[in-house]
Amino acid sequence: MEAQLLEFIRDEFLDDPETEIDADTKLISGGFIDSFSLVSLQSYIEREFGKRIPAPRITAESFDTIKQMVQIIQQF
Amino acid sequence: MISFEFFAILGLSLVLYWLLPAQRARNLLLSAASLLFIWLLDHQSLVVVLALTLFSYGMGQAIYRLKRNSWVHVLGVIGILASLIFFKYLGFLAGLFDSLYIFLEALPRFSLHHLLLPLGLSYIAFKQISYLSDIKWKLVKPGSFADFLLYNSLFTIFLAGPIERFERLNPQFQSPRIPFKKADLELGSRRIVIGLFKKLVFADWLGFFISGIWNNPSQYHPGLALLAVFGYAFQIYLDFAGYSDIAIGASRLFGLRVMENFDRPYLATNISQFWRRWHISLSDFIRDYIFFPLSRLSSNKVWLLGFVPVIAMGLCGLWHGADSRYLIWGIWHGLGLSVYQIFQQLKRRLGKRKMLKFNAFFAAIAWPLTFMFVSLGWLSFRAFGLPMARHIFFSFEGLTLTLISFLLLIFLGRWLPAFLLDIGARIRWRPAFTLYLLLICLICYSALNTEFIYAAF
Repeated sequence: MEAQLLEFIRDEFLDDPETEIDADTKLISGGFIDSFSLVSLQSYIEREFGKRIPAPRITAESFDTIKQMVQIIQQF
Repeated sequence: MISFEFFAILGLSLVLYWLLPAQRARNLLLSAASLLFIWLLDHQSLVVVLALTLFSYGMGQAIYRLKRNSWVHVLGVIGILASLIFFKYLGFLAGLFDSLYIFLEALPRFSLHHLLLPLGLSYIAFKQISYLSDIKWKLVKPGSFADFLLYNSLFTIFLAGPIERFERLNPQFQSPRIPFKKADLELGSRRIVIGLFKKLVFADWLGFFISGIWNNPSQYHPGLALLAVFGYAFQIYLDFAGYSDIAIGASRLFGLRVMENFDRPYLATNISQFWRRWHISLSDFIRDYIFFPLSRLSSNKVWLLGFVPVIAMGLCGLWHGADSRYLIWGIWHGLGLSVYQIFQQLKRRLGKRKMLKFNAFFAAIAWPLTFMFVSLGWLSFRAFGLPMARHIFFSFEGLTLTLISFLLLIFLGRWLPAFLLDIGARIRWRPAFTLYLLLICLICYSALNTEFIYAAF
């Protein structure tokens, strides 16, 4: 799941796909992804993993890194 | 908020609160103090708060217990919105009907102009919508009625937020015993004094100096009018951030942590960032309960980039009041977000093709452009904005000075934001500062005393 999310985020949201990001990179607070991108990410997660993550969970506190995303996805 | 009632209730309840041994008893005391505060402000508001609390708690219980609960959720949100529309927007709608009746000259007229907006209603309505939605999404449990009543009525944040979530406050209410910490008292009182200072010393005096220009711009030079526009940007920020400091500080005195509402918004380098730093509790609400659900309706790019931000921010504008100036202000920001997002998408595409060679240019104009955009938005937000805009932008002098100020901001932008951040980081607070600031606040309090701008919403 981590690798899949990493690939999606790198391909879809990064200005420069060669930017180095990993599972611990702070994506929201680091300014890599914004609310518009998070809407696409929410839809992607629902489509790929069958989990609908409520918006209040998609925040810089709980959804900032890919590791945190995986944890949240597993909670739902 | 800066009233004898507020500080008397704050002082008395604070002493009793820390004398009580159990958190349950403390919560009951806080609820009683909060209800007394609301009753002293406005009897009607107390009735509305109690009625809405009962309604939403019942709905929350039903959502939690029923398997097929979508209709209860919808019904609950409609009920809350209906109360908001009734008190906040019916006067406006009745005005429209009145005009229609005058035009027809047939039907008997009725007037609801004098229907008073219960204090804090806009904030409670949003808190309750988030409560019902979070139960629906299984993010929270309904909690006890006593805790929910305290969540809705907590007097430190009652008048103008922050629009705190039940999910964050309820665990604090349910703690067996919030420990007494001297640091909480120190930090809380410091925040209150800083808030008073922002409001009484900066915002009110700034408002005093610029209000003459705003009320009659044509009597002044366009340059002064432009300064008054920037002045209002700082007045409304200092006024509301001052209020938020008092609310957060007063909550902290009881050991309660309330979310921050501002994070140096005028240092934002794009409009999206501005909204992550300005009235954070409202923009979080708009994002979670309006922007995301609207975005899910269609994956069409035109809908997502063109319509959703404008609708969401238009509603955000209308939340401030039933007035076209708020709607225009919201749409202005919605369009800003929309254009910024389209620009981001283009940048991404160009970046992939290694064609983007304008980064240095964009970096230079990012901060001044954002600041100017937000400042111009306040033109619509504040009454009499149109004459002011006409006076500045329909004259050669005004336009020239706007351009010069933009160039000046580009120059200042090279070092000013970093300098301000550095100064902020270097300040080492001493207890004596709190006393000095309080003294200045007391002097200013007798000179000027105006209501908080956001308490009217």
